[in-house]
Amino acid sequence: MPSNPSMSAAIIAAAESDKIGYIEEGTTALQLHIEAIRNVCDAAGIKPKEIEGVFSPSHSSLLAEYLGIRPKYIDTTAVGGCSFQMHVHHALAAINSGIIDIAVVSHGEAGYSARKNKGNGTLRSGAGDPWIPSNQFGTGIYGAWGAPSHYSHALTRHMHDWGSTKEDFAQIAAVTREWATLNPRAVMHSKETHPNGGPITVQDVLDSRMIVWPLNLLDICLVTDHGGAVLIASAEKARSFKTSPVWIAGAGESQSHSDIMAMNDFTATSAAASSATAYRMAGMGPNDMEMGMIYDSFTVTAGITAEMLGLTPRGEGPSLWANGNASPGGKFPVNTNGGGLSFSHSGMYGMMLLIEAYRQLSGTAEDGIHGLPGKQTNAKSAIVNGTGGALSVTGTLVLTSDV
Amino acid sequence: MAEYNKPIPSIDPYVNKPFWDGAKEGKLMLPRCVTCNKVHWYPRTLCPLCHSSNIEWIEGSGEGYIHTFAVQNRAFGGWADETPYVLAYIDVKEGGRHATVLRGVDAENPESIKIGAKVKVEFEQADEDTYVPYWRVVD
Repeated sequence: MPSNPSMSAAIIAAAESDKIGYIEEGTTALQLHIEAIRNVCDAAGIKPKEIEGVFSPSHSSLLAEYLGIRPKYIDTTAVGGCSFQMHVHHALAAINSGIIDIAVVSHGEAGYSARKNKGNGTLRSGAGDPWIPSNQFGTGIYGAWGAPSHYSHALTRHMHDWGSTKEDFAQIAAVTREWATLNPRAVMHSKETHPNGGPITVQDVLDSRMIVWPLNLLDICLVTDHGGAVLIASAEKARSFKTSPVWIAGAGESQSHSDIMAMNDFTATSAAASSATAYRMAGMGPNDMEMGMIYDSFTVTAGITAEMLGLTPRGEGPSLWANGNASPGGKFPVNTNGGGLSFSHSGMYGMMLLIEAYRQLSGTAEDGIHGLPGKQTNAKSAIVNGTGGALSVTGTLVLTSDV
Repeated sequence: MAEYNKPIPSIDPYVNKPFWDGAKEGKLMLPRCVTCNKVHWYPRTLCPLCHSSNIEWIEGSGEGYIHTFAVQNRAFGGWADETPYVLAYIDVKEGGRHATVLRGVDAENPESIKIGAKVKVEFEQADEDTYVPYWRVVD
């Protein structure tokens, strides 16, 4: 009889690359990975070669080679920004089944540097390989421009189906910016960190440049350079480190489609399914959660996900951010690092969700990373949800603190 | 004929050729499962609804309704010349949802475009064998 993996492993440390954000001198994905893994190993007091499982989107074999790791378990699940939530899920399963005792989940992505060096986007003459359906019948032939082209359709339909407004979703950006002003590492922390940094209002969001109607510039995440890593250890081993464990109480993953042209309900994601699995594993529900790290590639991503996680009624996702509820000092803090909207988002943001949840639940948010402290909340449990692809794939974690 | 300067679908001879053959004649060909009698989209070698491999092609009415849409203010390649334009998803009358670029709409005034509006398919020649479907608002 298989055992419930809940609490059989913990995140025992989290760290970022030496620099994050807009790295003007340039960097590479590999460099960001390596800095983050070295920093997380330093934090836990272990050597990289003690790691038994290597989890990252695409690069795990290279990382192991580079660091001299002879892994017992390699995972390269790459399904966009939620890949890291899935890596934690997979590491939990591998640890619970006794295959490994300690794993690293790593992220390195030079979103800003790559764009700066190569120019913005690529020109395509043909639509690409015919065996990929979207190249015959989807956005490959109709000129869609990256993620904003896709996610905008969900907002149009949400406003139609549920009577929501652009103002409702703009509020998510304004509240998330409040958190960024408390995080000195956030790109949009202040006028000193970015010309457009510092507090913003709902009206500022509505007045910002229209990118893909109905999404304005401030409804859309940043594109930065970012590396990050977390270490995951078995319950027994987790107690042997100098750092505080944050327990993996529940994990789940699902998908509703791959290409957005196969999305059935544009106002729903598979987070309903992935969170149901995670809550069940944890023996907890939405009412037991004390904070949320909710993927905010776009305001619409976060708003819809709040509904899927059971944090608001259907159609009322943005209400989670209303009346100061999700703001600093509010009842249910959300995206306490300033989010992908205002902190940092390299293309795949899921690692940043993990790092911030670890910092909050281990009580280390005010200790700072690289000498820069953030805002500490009192939360003892967190719902963490990544969304990948074009609202396609989701990974949900229920994390609990060690007290 | 002006040269078609946008991405041209490379036709998959194994699964989709009947669609493109129909497009050449101005017909909207749709895959329908013989077992469950439902039209699906995109074309597959098995029905995504009941997993039967018994699939036939039918000629559709070429009619549908706007499911959702968004205005593209930026694009690459040939599409850059067209901005702003309206990318949309169409619920086809016989079943299935198709991506397209809408015609007969004012991209500068997205509030004037209605979800549920009736649309009809038309085809634009891209090269000798390839006619790309576009949908036009008709009400």
